[in-house]
Order: sequence, then structure tokens, then C-alpha cells
Amino acid sequence: MKYINMANRILTIYIVSLFSLLLTTSVLAQENMPKNWDTEKIRGARHLPYPSAAGFPYLNDRFASGEIEFLSGIKVGNIGLRYSSYRDEIIYYNTAVNTQIEIDKISLKGFSYIDENGNKRIFRRQHYDGYSSNERFFELLSDGEISLLVYRKVALQICSSYTDDAGKLKNMSYQNDYTFYFYAKDKGYEQVKITKSSLLSKFDKTTQKAVKRLLRKDGVQISDETSFIHAWNLIKENGIKVTFKN
Amino acid sequence: MERKLILLLLFFVALTGKAQEKETFRLYTDRDIYISGETLLLKLFVPSTEKSGIVNVDLINHEGKIITGITKQIIDHQADGFIYLPDSLGSGCYLLRVATRTSTILTIKELYLSNRFAGLPESNSDLRPSGVLPLVQTADRSIQVDGIESKYKTRQMGKVMVHLPTELLNQIDGDLLVSVAEVNQEYTTSSFTLKAAPKTGQIIEAEGIILEGIVTDKRTALPFKDAIVNLSIPDSIPGFQYFITGDDGRFYFQIKSYYGKIPVVIQCYAMDKSQLLKIALTDPEGLKKVMPDFENKSFPSGLRKSIEKNIDAVTFRKVFNQQELTIQPIPVTKNTGYPFYGVPSKTVDPQLFIDLPDFSEISRELLPGVKFRTNNRIPTLQVFNLSQQNYFNDNPLFLIDGIPIRDLNLIRNMGSKDIDKIEVCQSERFYGDLRFPGVVAIYTSKADYTRLAESDDLIKLNLDVFQPQAILNSSSASSVSDPDLRPVLLWNPATKPQQAFSLEFQTSDIQGSFKLIIRGKTKDGSIFYKEQIFEVH
Repeated sequence: MKYINMANRILTIYIVSLFSLLLTTSVLAQENMPKNWDTEKIRGARHLPYPSAAGFPYLNDRFASGEIEFLSGIKVGNIGLRYSSYRDEIIYYNTAVNTQIEIDKISLKGFSYIDENGNKRIFRRQHYDGYSSNERFFELLSDGEISLLVYRKVALQICSSYTDDAGKLKNMSYQNDYTFYFYAKDKGYEQVKITKSSLLSKFDKTTQKAVKRLLRKDGVQISDETSFIHAWNLIKENGIKVTFKN
Repeated sequence: MERKLILLLLFFVALTGKAQEKETFRLYTDRDIYISGETLLLKLFVPSTEKSGIVNVDLINHEGKIITGITKQIIDHQADGFIYLPDSLGSGCYLLRVATRTSTILTIKELYLSNRFAGLPESNSDLRPSGVLPLVQTADRSIQVDGIESKYKTRQMGKVMVHLPTELLNQIDGDLLVSVAEVNQEYTTSSFTLKAAPKTGQIIEAEGIILEGIVTDKRTALPFKDAIVNLSIPDSIPGFQYFITGDDGRFYFQIKSYYGKIPVVIQCYAMDKSQLLKIALTDPEGLKKVMPDFENKSFPSGLRKSIEKNIDAVTFRKVFNQQELTIQPIPVTKNTGYPFYGVPSKTVDPQLFIDLPDFSEISRELLPGVKFRTNNRIPTLQVFNLSQQNYFNDNPLFLIDGIPIRDLNLIRNMGSKDIDKIEVCQSERFYGDLRFPGVVAIYTSKADYTRLAESDDLIKLNLDVFQPQAILNSSSASSVSDPDLRPVLLWNPATKPQQAFSLEFQTSDIQGSFKLIIRGKTKDGSIFYKEQIFEVH
């Protein structure tokens, strides 16, 4: 009996020490290491304030928690992001240096953040080959073989004169100039307006009837961006494809 | 009862030992005996439990001194590579040691190396490891090798068909090692394991080589907190990393996506410019210094003759400049395509302009927005901030060949002839948490770190990073009349396992015993092999 107890004790000590040895190795390896010490670093330039004018140059009022994805596929999450519609730049707040930094567009594949309504906004960098071709951040409204994208551009444009909060007379304001596109990798961009007629014009005549029937059946009224996305998702789910004219 | 207790303990120890063997690296080389100046080919089977993505194979002498070594990436639980055996090595027993940064069990393979000029020692004996247990591998009789003959003529083609049974095929993990090489049946060596001291606080090299070290206060020799440590790799698009030290003064860098030998510079500085710092790398090697016992063992009678013949063959190959290996192109990694300091707002090639004698002249004539002045023999550099339309008050980030330089005296005498290209960023740039009030980057034709003076806060390294892949040349003779003296006729460490596959080799002008080996690892970590010996006359 005495020996059996001893055997049990030795066995327990043996197993416990084996496990503790394994645990110690993995725990010690992670000690004293700063977070993200070996990940790709964010590169950019200091963000300078835009000209003061009526309207809003940013898409989101405040910095929202988000994630960026580098070209290498490495993701950096949990950072404060704000999209500048005016300059088509993504700005992040670097807490270590207390600075707003415009992240180099060419270093990114895309970014995403959660807006004030709790919705995830996904943007991806793509080359736009149409008029004024360049690299742009497009918001992804619906993904798939044919994606629905929006370029959320805000332009500083001449408007009727007004007096700002400081009592200065001004005639420039930030105005939304959003452009919506259907995009397919092999076919490029097809611009669309968020109206029913513009949507229907993206299909040939026979398909248009089917689309109309589909929208009527589901009672979809296209009046704004949300209903347009809903209509497109419905069409996409039914396997109907857009005709690219370019 | 006491006996039962002992048996129980022995059972657990044996169980642990068996499991441990399966969780060790298994190293195989093309041969057991080499001549200096030759290339050793090796293949590693890596345990599936291994977390490290990198493995080091070092050639060490019987005193534990590292002669040479390679670093390989582990892909699909395996790795293969080669080691050049220097002509400067004396004849004797050497060990190949396989370990990762965190290994506590080292795999060792014994091999014999004879100096090409000295041959075997006068005495007919040499030191060899003793008291070690060779790692187990099982001969698999179910592997069928058809078409192999017992005798071949020199320069004869050999065609062999290998059949793997379905049961074994389903169990194979990774690729097979298939080799045909000269063998000395009188002298064979084995692999064994040694236990190293457990390492505490070591980081696993999951993707790249870890460089670690410590920054201390030069006056007190105490670890220094909040030192900024930079690692630079001079290149056309320079590599750059930084680390801010904590309480322990330690820093870590991970180097990945580089192949061959690269120049590396590690520098440190404190925010307070008057603070003197000292930087040193920590050598994890110390923990691996564990060696087997050695004892004098006599050579087999035929070894001397065989080695003399091999020395002649190696000398002939050297004379005829016959290359054993073809190095494969280094994999091109997709980089972001611009330097860490940003896309330059201005790039100037001074050699396209009139010859200017020093950097003051260059900045004045060719670099509008860059102010390089010397007042009371103290040089200053300022960059014009385009977005704010004024000069930055602070010194910009100043780089020579991608290495940050703080002593501007280094460029005072640099003229147009010394500089290939100058890049300037005229904005306030950020890299992670580092701020650069403008950037001036000079690229010289040398593209290295020789301009940097030795100092306590700087380390210059010529670092061996990942070894590129190589393939064995199937015939080293450039014409029929040249001697073909290859001791290795076939070496394919990445043969995909199939139910049936064919092998082809051509015998060389070397006569003697050769061995065909097919070796692999099963999913449970066991090593199996099939070997067949034939003669070449």
C-alpha cells in the first residue's frame, strides 16, 4: 500500500513536471516583448488641416476604430481611422506621437472601420482607369464577381456666399460628389447612378424585363443608396449580370 | 513491489525517450566521408510539432567550435541545403549540428573530413564520438526498387523504378530524399541527439532570423530604457527596422526575405543626445555548447586508400573547374516598392551635372530646399517643408546607403563623383512611431557600411541569412574527354511521393561502391528507408 502510494506520487510529480516544463517554455518566450514589435510599420506624412469651409471634408465625424491591410497582406487593427473624402486619404491617429498621419496610399491594399451606427465600412484601393485615372479608395457596397463600389469624393466648390462662424464671408464649401460603379476584374468600371432607370440601363432589353419583375415582386423602390444596394443584391442573387459597355 | 515501481518508472522514461526521438530533427547527408573543398549536401526532416520556421545547421569541430553553418527556412516540415567544406580544415572527425533558436535537443551527425593537401593523419586513428545512441530508422521492405543492377560500368545510364505501397504512401509526410552516392562500407557514421540547456525567454524564429541584444548606459553599464535602436540593411530599397528598449534594455529584430550574406548595421541612440550608450548582441549560441564524449578509434584498413583516391578526384574537379551545384535564383519577394522613409519628392543624380567638389556645393546648386551649411566647423542640414512653406527646425533623417547617419561631417567632402543618387522628402514623415522632419538619402556607388566609423553605439555585421536553394548538376564534365569524377550521382531531396516513380542517373568515372537510398518520414515522425548497394567498375 505504501509503495502504491509512493508510485502514484512519483507518477503525479512526473506528469506535473512534464506539463509545467512545456508551459514554462511557451510562457517565457512571450515575456517582455512589446506588442507588434515585428510587424510592418505604418508609413505616412503629417496630416494638415484642410481649408475651413461649410460642409465636411471627412466621411466620418470622429476617428473610428478600424483596421488597415498592407500590400503584403499584413493587417494592423484597433487603430483610430478617419477617411478624408476631400483628399481620398486614410488618416490614422498615432497615440504614441499624438499626431494625425495620412497613411501612404501606395502601401495599402485597403482598410475598414466601424462607423457610428455600428456598420462595417470596407474600402479597397484600386486603380481607376477612367477620366483622371489614379489610385483610389473605393468603398465596397456589395462584393462578388461584379462588385458595387462607390468613390466617396467630396470637392471644395464655389457656392453662394455665406458667413462662417468666425464672421468671415466665404463662397467655397465641401460638396459631395459621390460616384457609383459596377466593377468586374476583367471588364473594369461601369458608372451607375442610384436611380432605377440608371440601374435598368445596365442590362439588355430582355434582362430589363426580368429585373423589373424581380424588383416589383419584392416591392423594391429605389430611392436612396440603401435601397439601391438592396436592389442590386437581389439582382445579383438571381444570377443576372450587368452589361459592361466599355 | 519495489521492482514494479522501478519498472513503472522505466516504462515512462522509455515512453518519453521514444516520443522525444520522433520530435527531433533528422539529418541526412549525401555521404559520410568528405574531402576539403567539396560540398556537403544535406536534408532535414523536421518534427511536425516544431514551431520554429528556421533551422541552423552548423559544422563544428570536436572542440565545439563552429567552422561554418547555414540557415534554412523550414517548409512543409523539411529543409535541404548544402555546406561548402573549406580547404583550410584539417583532417579529422567533425560534427554537423542541427538546432533552432529554442531547441533543447540537438541533432548531431558525425562525418569524417580529410584535408585535400594533407590526407589522413600519420597515426591510424582519430577521435570519434563515444557513448552515444544512434537515432533509429527502419528499413522498409515493402518499398520495391526495380531495374537496379548489382554492377554498372563507368558512364552508364541507370534507370530504376520505385514502387511505394499504398499503406506507406498514405502515411508519408513531406517529400522523399532520393540519392545515389559513393559509399565506404567500412566507415559509416550515425546521427544522435544531445540535450542542451533549456533556454528561458527565447523568441521562436517563426518567420525570420532573430537578432537580439542589449543597450546599456556607457557610464553605469546598466540596461538603458527608451533607447531607439535602428537596424539598417543597405540596398537599392534599404531595409529598416527600429525597436524602443524597455526596462531591461533589450532589443529584438526579425530579418526575413533576405538570402545569402547581407550587410547589417545596428545603431542606438537616446533622445538626450549627451547620453552615451553601448550596444551589444546577445549570443544564444552559448546555450548550445554541449558536446559528446570523444575517444580515439582506429581507421579501417581500406579508408586510407579510398580517401587518397577521392583527394585525386576532388583535385581534378577543381582543376577542370567542375561545378557541383547550380544555385537557384533567389525567390523574388513582393515589396511595397518604395523606401521606408517614403516616396521622395525629389530625386537628383549629381553625375548628370557639372562636377561639384563637396556636399555644400551640391546642396546649393542641385538641391533647392536642402540647406547644408557649416558654421564654426559644425555642419547643419535642414529641409524645406513644402506643405508648411518653411524650413524644419530639426535635422532631417539623413541616410547614406539606407543607414541613418548622425555625424554630418561624413558628407562634407562628398562630391558628385562619390554620389549615385540623392533622394529628398520635403514633408514631415512618419515610420511607425518615428518622426522624420524631412529626409535626405544619399546613395553611393559602394552601397555598404564602410563609411561608418567603429563606435560603442554601433554594430556592423555581415550576416548570413537564408541559404538559397541549389540543385546538383547531373554531369560535371563539359565534354566527353573531360574526366567525370562525381561522387554523388543523384541527389533529389524533394521527390514527391507517388505510387510509382522512375529514377535516372549516370555513373561517373569513379569506380567503387555506390548506394541508392530512398528515405522519408511518416506522419508519426518515424524515418523509413530503402537502400541498395551496387558496384561501378
